[in-house]
Amino acid sequence: MELNEKAKQLLETGDVKAVLGFEAGTQGGRRPAFARSAARAERLSFEGEQNLASYVTRKEVKRLGRVAVAARPPVLRALLQLMAERQVKEQDVLPLVQEADGQVRELATAQAMEEYLALSPQQIPAADRELMDKLAAMSQQERWAYWQDQLSRCIKCYACRSSCPMCYCEHCTMDCNRPQWVPVPSHALGNLEYHMTRAMHLAGRCVECGDCGRACPVGIPIHLLTFNAEESVHAQFGQRAGASAKLDYALSTFRPDDKETFIR
Amino acid sequence: MTEPFEPKITAFVCNWCTYAGADLTGTSRIKYQSNVRVLRLPCTGRIDFMLLAKAFARGADGIIISGCHPNDCHYTSGNYHARRRWMIYRNLMDFMGIDTGRITFSWVSAAEGAKWAELVNEVTTGIRAMGPYTEYKQLADAGVE
Amino acid sequence: MSRIGVFICHCGENIGGTVDCARVAEATRAVPGVVHSVDYKYMCSDPGQSMIKAAIAEHRLTGVVVAACSPRMHEPTFRNAVAEAGLNPYLCEMANLREHCSWVHEKGEPTTAKAIDLVRVMVEKVKRNQPLQPIQVPVTKRALVLGGGIAGIQAALDIANAGHPVVLVEKSPSIGGHMSQLSETFPTLDCSQCILTPRMVEAARHPNITLMTYAELESLSGFIGNFQATIRRKARQVDEKLCTGCGLCTTKCPNKKIPDAFNEGLSTRGAIYVPFPQAVPNKPVIDKLNCTFYKTGKCKLCEKLCPTGAIRFDQQDELVTLDVGAIVLATGFKLMGTDQFPEYGYGQYKDVIDGMQFERLASASGPTAGAMKRPSDGKPPETVVFVSCSGSRDRSKGVPYCSKICCMYTAKHAMLYKHKQHGGKAYVFYMDIRSCGKDYDEFVRRAIEEDDVAYIRGRVSRIYEQDGQLVVMGADTLQGGRPMVIKADMVVLATAVQSQEGSEALAQKLHVSYDPYHFFAEAHPKLKPVETNTAGIYLAGTCQAPRDIPETVAQASGAAAKVAALFAKSELTREPQVAVVNRQPPPVFSRCVGCFLCQSACAYQAIEQEQIKARDGSVIKTVARVNPGLCQGCGTCVATCRTKAIDIQGFSNEQIFAEIMTL
Repeated sequence: MELNEKAKQLLETGDVKAVLGFEAGTQGGRRPAFARSAARAERLSFEGEQNLASYVTRKEVKRLGRVAVAARPPVLRALLQLMAERQVKEQDVLPLVQEADGQVRELATAQAMEEYLALSPQQIPAADRELMDKLAAMSQQERWAYWQDQLSRCIKCYACRSSCPMCYCEHCTMDCNRPQWVPVPSHALGNLEYHMTRAMHLAGRCVECGDCGRACPVGIPIHLLTFNAEESVHAQFGQRAGASAKLDYALSTFRPDDKETFIR
Repeated sequence: MTEPFEPKITAFVCNWCTYAGADLTGTSRIKYQSNVRVLRLPCTGRIDFMLLAKAFARGADGIIISGCHPNDCHYTSGNYHARRRWMIYRNLMDFMGIDTGRITFSWVSAAEGAKWAELVNEVTTGIRAMGPYTEYKQLADAGVE
Repeated sequence: MSRIGVFICHCGENIGGTVDCARVAEATRAVPGVVHSVDYKYMCSDPGQSMIKAAIAEHRLTGVVVAACSPRMHEPTFRNAVAEAGLNPYLCEMANLREHCSWVHEKGEPTTAKAIDLVRVMVEKVKRNQPLQPIQVPVTKRALVLGGGIAGIQAALDIANAGHPVVLVEKSPSIGGHMSQLSETFPTLDCSQCILTPRMVEAARHPNITLMTYAELESLSGFIGNFQATIRRKARQVDEKLCTGCGLCTTKCPNKKIPDAFNEGLSTRGAIYVPFPQAVPNKPVIDKLNCTFYKTGKCKLCEKLCPTGAIRFDQQDELVTLDVGAIVLATGFKLMGTDQFPEYGYGQYKDVIDGMQFERLASASGPTAGAMKRPSDGKPPETVVFVSCSGSRDRSKGVPYCSKICCMYTAKHAMLYKHKQHGGKAYVFYMDIRSCGKDYDEFVRRAIEEDDVAYIRGRVSRIYEQDGQLVVMGADTLQGGRPMVIKADMVVLATAVQSQEGSEALAQKLHVSYDPYHFFAEAHPKLKPVETNTAGIYLAGTCQAPRDIPETVAQASGAAAKVAALFAKSELTREPQVAVVNRQPPPVFSRCVGCFLCQSACAYQAIEQEQIKARDGSVIKTVARVNPGLCQGCGTCVATCRTKAIDIQGFSNEQIFAEIMTL
């Protein structure tokens, strides 16, 4: 069964009020698509890159009721983390995954999602790993030069924030002007502080889907920043975002014997 | 003739341990270099990572962050949370090319007046040798601050 | 519109001698928002405080910065003054120009520049201060005293006599502590148990005191006025209600080879035992580690013999949870063991003993009924050497401090020895003689002049056994360092007073600070000797530092007075510097997104859920809420919150941001 058939089925029985998947775009690419009727469901497939979990926290989608979501592992992790952070209820979302044989499977519970995820280990794409290793091998000054160069192109469009499923806060810290934590303009300081803040706010919450980097219209590999924060958390504390629907946030938990080498 | 470079050091300290320890340094009349400006916070757990970025943006050449030793936090666990935050933030800053050698994290208890003086002196001397943090200052100056 | 008044104190010469206060006042005048900026000799004095109050009225100030000593010193003083002038006390801040500036830097331009910076930072903070009202919290008027030695007993009696219920918890089977082990006390040489036991009985019979012996603190939660303490009452294996204290079981127990801790290992006891004859309560306890039945499953002789059937081998520990409003820590001390001295035999020589062992030998109720008999062969010692400062004042032993009581008790021991062994020779090797209390020096002089104790100023480098005697090698520094070798029959080491076993763990359970030697830390070394930095927990006795009995009793009464003051009101006023979750008008209601990542960061479980509902009862959103009674104001949640929806009054984001931006 393909996604569009499954979608038609779910909509007809009224199990869900909408199905989120992908459809062909206008310029040969793929784009997210919502189907609220069987007719509309015809165009849906799994083929597409975006993390559809970023839609389930939107007011317009929540108003619809229970929605089915075409999911790859990063989407599942995002959904679990959103459940842990009480933004989405288990019964309001129905992830649909594509098995190796092409069949569509429902993962109706958090437990089902966790079990499915346990089968495929979490890994960042090889190209990203290579670039991160290359950066790690550079000196501090070289890394500064690299990021200053990359971030100089940032235009503060906030596409990265919009694409991220974990950036659901209605009143983002960037919107706060008393005090003005991060300067709004897209000058060097504003860009550096924005991306640094976003990466820290995602430490322990980033599901490593890479959407932010893909969304960036000027091609800055900002997903590497959140990857760095998330990998730090995993390496030092063993915790992972999206591992379970029960909150286990690294930065609000601790172990008395956390080890570091730099505190005097 | 240009004046010799005097570093600007901003210190974020917790009220119960390091601030009291620094008070003890004063009561004991132990002298240290005067570049440091101490900002009092109730606990190291209160220290948002953004405050460090703001200190650099405001022209600090070096930063000291100090609180109670692990297990001795007046609020039980604030310093444990702070420690985790610093571990991740330090890695991120290093990844982005920020000079983490300019930030010193330490545990100074209310009884360690001598350690506070030693710490401030070492950090001040070290930062003076590193020179001003021009890369960051240039960023700030380039913006509308 | 800010109208800030800045008052710069010279503190006599303390600040004024290093910082140019007039210039600081002048520079501050130029800061936007400052309408009044003056300097004065002593801001905390009456005229100084009056000056502030007058300025508040005259200049209609909306905030005050007092640039003087540390806020940890005088913040309450100035906040009170400001409140008296009608301004909310939380609109007053202090800049630390003394401990953090004038006392640690040289006089000069950089120091004055730093002073100006520090004042400007506090001006920017105070502009953003909010007027706050103190939080009222109910107080549970019951005290918990941990430790049943003389300190705990005195504190419990004083609090009970003030009319409040007290629970006195003691970890050994009887109250009394180390004082019950002493023979005679200085400077009067009256019998220790004779003066202690009436107090012990009074404590046991007092209607307001509940005694829990053979019990320890399991856990503690809560805060001042509202603690919940869980006490583990260890199983005595005896039903205290049925036991009459007849003692038959203790005399008949076949397993009699267990070293008696009360007699410091100089004698043995049975597995079922009462620690000493005057024990309160006079009910036995079974030592499960050494009892034959628990080791092999055979015996139970005591159960068979007990006339009232009070023995209960299946009794379990009991956990009791109490609501208390204040806690007094009176857990006492331990003595460094003789085995810490390789140069004196590693504790292997039976006749090299410590002060407490000597007390037991000298005591009429001790293993030798008070006769001077040496532990190895029971022969009366003809020559005894007393070594002061064994371990104390010695960095290599990890004890750089003076143990305070040893000079006095060494003189006492020498005198007692001479009184019991008229022909004997007593030598004391000392570094200094510290006999500072009332009648103390006269007491030491008696030992030297009347009891013929030979005082030698020098240290002992080595003690070794030879032909049944102990060879003591010391020096006489008042005779040019002349080596002194004395062949002694017994040596008494005045070993260092150290913190009680388990002090560190207890301090961490209570969140009380402690020093590097694990003595509990007082809130201020001079002005707050009975309080700790943890509100509601007080200190009494040697758990804080070595001290003698009169000082311990005085301090215990001091702690009791603090508790009585706390209980004098039915509500406690708490500092309002607590966290608050943002609230806004509809349709936003709150910046909080309800992720509750802050909840696990709070050590006091102060963050709760709050449902914001529409008029029809449907839930619009669930956000966080801080319980102001539980929040301690640490701010960890504030730093964890991504949207900055939670903020702390007194150290708000805006304030700290402004402080950084001022520098």
